[in-house]
Amino acid sequence: MSSTLIQRRPAKATVKNRVFIALVVISNTLGTVLLGRGMTQMPDFAAGALTYIVRFLINPWIVPGIALLVVWMVAQLSMLTWADLSYVLPVTASYYILTAIVSRFFLDERISLTRWIGIAVISFGVMLVSHTPPRTHELPEGLLE
Amino acid sequence: MKWLWVAVTVISGTIGDVLCARGMAMHGELDDFRPKGIARILRYIVTHKIVLAGIAGDAISFFSFLALLSVTELNFAVPATALSYVFKTALARWYLREHVSWGRWAGALLVAFGIVLVSL
Repeated sequence: MSSTLIQRRPAKATVKNRVFIALVVISNTLGTVLLGRGMTQMPDFAAGALTYIVRFLINPWIVPGIALLVVWMVAQLSMLTWADLSYVLPVTASYYILTAIVSRFFLDERISLTRWIGIAVISFGVMLVSHTPPRTHELPEGLLE
Repeated sequence: MKWLWVAVTVISGTIGDVLCARGMAMHGELDDFRPKGIARILRYIVTHKIVLAGIAGDAISFFSFLALLSVTELNFAVPATALSYVFKTALARWYLREHVSWGRWAGALLVAFGIVLVSL
């Protein structure tokens, strides 16, 4: 597509970019952990829809968990206003690394050698992508509102 | 049945993320983080048709992943859907016209492979 403009001077990884990577990773990890913990305390859905909904809404883990996942979604969408999808997805996959650290050191779970190797492989992939410029293209003029 | 849920999870998640990226890129770089600016970006997200279609795709992906978990274990579901990282990178290249350098390709492949290892 000839109308696609290549940005000659790629945007540098700014402080804002780093803050948002941290925000996306932390809100996703914490949100998932809280939601997962809350869901284990839920009654069987067959026990009755009303009971289920009430228990869902008053559970001290589920509502904050969902709130954090909303923060995660808005933060990730915000990043996409200045960074490529092929940058945001791998870089924010450091979520898998943080989850492993949390489960090892705070939940005292054992982590197998295969998992440690997987974590190392993910970390290496994240490192490679984070050294590329966040934005490599400009939208064709006609697409900007 | 489980492969059907894998396919729905991967395809709807890929389309969802790509549409979100396209819709949000149309906004232009977000720089205003005062309450007014945050309110404005929230309004953009909930009213922009392409972004909404993207969120719908991601929601379908999320629920079909839950359906997948109801018929298999995590150690099947997670590696089976890790392939979506590769599809998303491919569509970012061909549809969104991002310049995916070898470093990004290698990174995306390593992340997908690492997720398979972590979940085994």
